[in-house]
Amino acid sequence: MFERIVLGFGVSEGRMQRFLLACMGLGFAALVAVGIAAGWSTARNEGHTRDVNHTYEVELAIDRARILIEQSETSRRGFVLTGEHVYLDTYRTSMVALPTLLTRIATLTRDNPRQQRTIASLRQMIAELAEQRERTIAVTLRGDQVAARTLFREETSARRMRAVRKLADAMVAEEQRLLAIRDAEQQASVRVFYATLALAGLLLVLVALVSLLTVRRYTRDLAASRDSLRDFADTLEDLVNERTADLTRANDEIQRFAYIVSHDLRSPLVNVMGFTAELESATATIGALIDRAEARAPDIVTPDDRLAAREDLPEAIKFIRTSTQKMDRLINAILKLSREGRRVIAPEPLDLDTMVDTIGASLTQQLDHRGATLTIARPLPAIVSDRLAIEQILSNLIENAVKYLSPDRAGQITVRGRREGQRVTIEVEDNGRGIAASDHQRVFDLFRRSGNQDQPGEGIGLAHVRALAYRLGGVIEMASELGQGTTFRLNLPAKLDTTNADTRESGT
Amino acid sequence: MNDHQSVSIIMIEDDEGHARLIEKNIRRAGILNHITHFTDGTTALDYLFNAAAGPQRNGPALVLLDLNLPDMSGTDILAKIKAADGPLRRTPVVVLTTTDDKVEIQRCYDLGCNVYITKPVNYESFAQAIRQLGLFLSVIQVPETEG
Repeated sequence: MFERIVLGFGVSEGRMQRFLLACMGLGFAALVAVGIAAGWSTARNEGHTRDVNHTYEVELAIDRARILIEQSETSRRGFVLTGEHVYLDTYRTSMVALPTLLTRIATLTRDNPRQQRTIASLRQMIAELAEQRERTIAVTLRGDQVAARTLFREETSARRMRAVRKLADAMVAEEQRLLAIRDAEQQASVRVFYATLALAGLLLVLVALVSLLTVRRYTRDLAASRDSLRDFADTLEDLVNERTADLTRANDEIQRFAYIVSHDLRSPLVNVMGFTAELESATATIGALIDRAEARAPDIVTPDDRLAAREDLPEAIKFIRTSTQKMDRLINAILKLSREGRRVIAPEPLDLDTMVDTIGASLTQQLDHRGATLTIARPLPAIVSDRLAIEQILSNLIENAVKYLSPDRAGQITVRGRREGQRVTIEVEDNGRGIAASDHQRVFDLFRRSGNQDQPGEGIGLAHVRALAYRLGGVIEMASELGQGTTFRLNLPAKLDTTNADTRESGT
Repeated sequence: MNDHQSVSIIMIEDDEGHARLIEKNIRRAGILNHITHFTDGTTALDYLFNAAAGPQRNGPALVLLDLNLPDMSGTDILAKIKAADGPLRRTPVVVLTTTDDKVEIQRCYDLGCNVYITKPVNYESFAQAIRQLGLFLSVIQVPETEG
């Protein structure tokens, strides 16, 4: 159930993230498009403004040119009529300014061949006009006003002037036409900009909407899976409690079984040992009988009799004895373990420093004998637990460390501890002979030992330690390398809570 | 004991071997009183309270009691013997058993057991304990039963 939830969760989360990222990317892309469109539109606007200015400049220049042309014509006519030099001066000034203006117009409209053509014909027209005018002026200057007027009357200046005006109008019209085209373009670009803006806006709204919906759905899913997870946690707790109760029951049963078995095994053992002893004393009697028989009537004693009475019987008895003694020790060990399992645990605040000191003091002789030192990394953490159990665990571990030191080097045994949240870890480290990796689990089993069997013991200590550690809600593990040393790590609750733990009464 | 011939020893022990070893060692200690052996609680109780030759009708006795019996717990027999108004309440009871559980020992003394001895598995210790018990039996005073 748990796996399914996690799996479903993970998949939807990944897909969800990708989807949201895509949405955000799309939104950003829309924004970038809007930015580009705005930039483009602004640039287009600037260009248009420049073009409009240009058109006005050209129109202005054309108007001024027309004014100059009209002015020059008016002043010439004035001169021809009156012969006063004021008019001539005005005419000259106008005619001097005109070419500059025309050149300016040509420069402004140099990119437009139609305007260039028009301006060329305008120049030509003006040149022809100027020639005609110079003729009438020259005649007037000579003082022949009548001839000048006749000449004026004969000339086609009025027609030419009209043509000039028409050309100028054409130029203005051309500029207006260009302006109209540019206006249309400008409007088109503005339309494009607005279209882009609208599109991007629509896209953004769409993305936001989709994202919102997705997030909402995701949140709903999340809430749903959170709820189911909570329900699951609740059931899990019940399940754990149930299992714990089952385990406690099973453990109780095993304890009881161990107790009964070990206890009931003792009775027959008493008989075996007792009657073996009787047998032994009987053997002694028979031995004495053989001795007497050999002394008084050697012929009735066969070698087989001698062998049976002096060797076979004592040997058999010896083996029965050692075996029953060993069996007795093993049964006692099981009994001790099962009894320990039934003991009522009484948690109290413990001073581990003092406790380890006491254990160290009780081992002073062995430590001195082996030239080993016991170091305590003070202060050891505070702990609330069962005094006897902790004492037995620590003294077993430290005794083991002393027992299995390496003869090659000075023994170093260190006891240290640390608090880790609600747990306390206590380490007993030695630089002794170590335990082969294959035996790491085995040494915790009852009657199992590791390495050279050169030390007395039944293989009970660590089994006992582990049973006690479990009993205190803890675990014990080890790290060891053969020939390097061993570290036993005891992890216990900092404060042993017996409300849930089994507080069994010890019985028979 | 008051009179070796009159005080009988009643041994309630389900294990024949144990019974034999106990008897042997008691005899080795010089105790010659008659020993009546029962291997279950029911017949033992019947003998104690009802039999014509039993202690209730026939003089003082001393009970050697094993706690692990096939048909009932030794403590039940103890409770019955030591019942406050029972006729055998003053009869000395020596509990001789393999159980060395602290609580069980306490319970036996609470019920009125006079001596509690744990059978040592080691035979030398066992034999010695029984012989010492024999010496003890030879000096203790056993009251007359009432009734």
